[in-house]
Amino acid sequence: MKMPEVVHLFGFMSDDFLGRVVFTPSDQTIGRLAEQLVSWGWHPEVRGRYRVTNEAGNVLDPQLTIAQAGLSSGDLFTVDRG
Amino acid sequence: MTLRRDDWLDVARKVNWTYRYVDEREVFPEGVSGTPWLPQEAWKEWNEVYRTTYREYVRNQRAKDDALMGARSALSKVGILEQLEPGWVQLVKFHQGTFALSEYAAVVAEQRMARFGRDSAWRTMSTLGALDETRHGQIPLLMGHDMLPFDGNFDWTHKAYHTNEWVIIAARHLFDDMFLAANAVDLAIQLNFVLETGFTNIQFMAMAAMADGASHHLFEKALASIQTDEARHAQIGHPVLRTLIENGDREHAQYLVDKMWWRCWRLFLALTGSAMDYHVPLSVRRRSFKEFMDEWVVDQFMKNIAEFSLERPWFWDLFIEELDYAHHSFQLGLYAYRTTLWFDVAMPDEQERRWLNEKYPSWNETYGPTWDALEHRWQDEGEGSTLAYALPVVCNLCQLPTLFVKPGKNTACTREVGGRKYVFCSEPCRWIFEKEFSRFAGHSSVVDRIVAGATPGNLPDLHQWMGLQAPMETGKDLRRGLDRWRLEPVPKV
Repeated sequence: MKMPEVVHLFGFMSDDFLGRVVFTPSDQTIGRLAEQLVSWGWHPEVRGRYRVTNEAGNVLDPQLTIAQAGLSSGDLFTVDRG
Repeated sequence: MTLRRDDWLDVARKVNWTYRYVDEREVFPEGVSGTPWLPQEAWKEWNEVYRTTYREYVRNQRAKDDALMGARSALSKVGILEQLEPGWVQLVKFHQGTFALSEYAAVVAEQRMARFGRDSAWRTMSTLGALDETRHGQIPLLMGHDMLPFDGNFDWTHKAYHTNEWVIIAARHLFDDMFLAANAVDLAIQLNFVLETGFTNIQFMAMAAMADGASHHLFEKALASIQTDEARHAQIGHPVLRTLIENGDREHAQYLVDKMWWRCWRLFLALTGSAMDYHVPLSVRRRSFKEFMDEWVVDQFMKNIAEFSLERPWFWDLFIEELDYAHHSFQLGLYAYRTTLWFDVAMPDEQERRWLNEKYPSWNETYGPTWDALEHRWQDEGEGSTLAYALPVVCNLCQLPTLFVKPGKNTACTREVGGRKYVFCSEPCRWIFEKEFSRFAGHSSVVDRIVAGATPGNLPDLHQWMGLQAPMETGKDLRRGLDRWRLEPVPKV
């Protein structure tokens, strides 16, 4: 069985002030990726829905894996609340 | 009969020989003298207003150094440094570490122009400029040495440039680009026209006024004294820019101005922005960094580019917008990553927050909740919970963390070239990178190196790689981290 590749992505949370490097398996879902970034930020207690976009501004389906969503090492993504 | 100054000065300054045994292009190779290569005839009108002779230079500089050394003797009494505000001390430490040895890089730049500048009056001025920059390296080194008994971390005045500390890597990247790896024409426009007539006013004049208010009179006098040199040799830039434009290379001139404006902005918002709005004692803060920038930098720059009918940089709107938030985001970053710095960092208290909100009306709405969260974390979970988790994204051009993000607006972007992906804090950084791809592409940022396994990823080893001895040298919270242990022997079990 092939092990999932570990990728590094550049994540930006809309209510944060800096980008963070996220190391994660490429079979992680976009939804989990967003939660991971939020948990590292300054307001992890604020719950709710997240909207994840890639650099081109396309909304990424939270059910898709990182690889399925077309993200690979060195890509950036933005997480907005709501 | 003694000749009057004006009778001999131009004969001595404008010694542009006609070369008979070598080609002019061999004496002034294009690669070092600059592009476009123009014959001497094109440079013959080069002039500047100071027209300083060497005799005048020595006399003036001696008087300035006498004044400064006199002030040092009078003001270096025991107890004076202890009376300085803690935030101010950290500001000086930050300034000294970032600038002291960059002045020696500026010596190299001036010396390159002293040899390869295309007119003899330019070469004369650059010779004096090299002597100026030597002095500008020596003054902060001396002051840093004087402050060692007060705070051992002032050894970073000298040490910083020999380390891999991330702020210093960013500063070196800029100064290598601007000072060390540039031809004479590019140097004159980048260093003299943009940096010295544009930005050093804020660091050396505005900061000098604040030093006076903070009762650090020796620092005030040193900054003001340095700026009088800068004002003189900054004059190199205008006639070089004029010659370039008159000879049909407006496009190159515009690019150099735009590029270095943005690069200088990045460094100065990081260094001066956070210093002025967060580390200067509140009692002496009269104007904000933004107000100083508007008055001392933006207005002057607009006059300068108007003089040459140059366009405003294409990213001007973003720059104006960033004046409101970029250094505030950066201050949060400094605070959250303070254990990777050689100076302590301030969390603004209630009074400071009110001041910040007066100067930046959306400050509280934008940054208040994050500072509140940090404050609550400290109270509830201790100091460790106020440190950032995870590596910051680092820009492949300016080498600074992508901390200029305005909440709700992500300015970061990427570029893939030859199978390698690069990340940038902003469009202007990406634009500069793309314009000079071969110049910048081979460099790896701190994060690139960590990702590749070339640099340690865990903090203790990373500290060592950066040259920081933790916890003795690493930055703390300004108000809650202050204690005397820095000056005392390391406790032994």
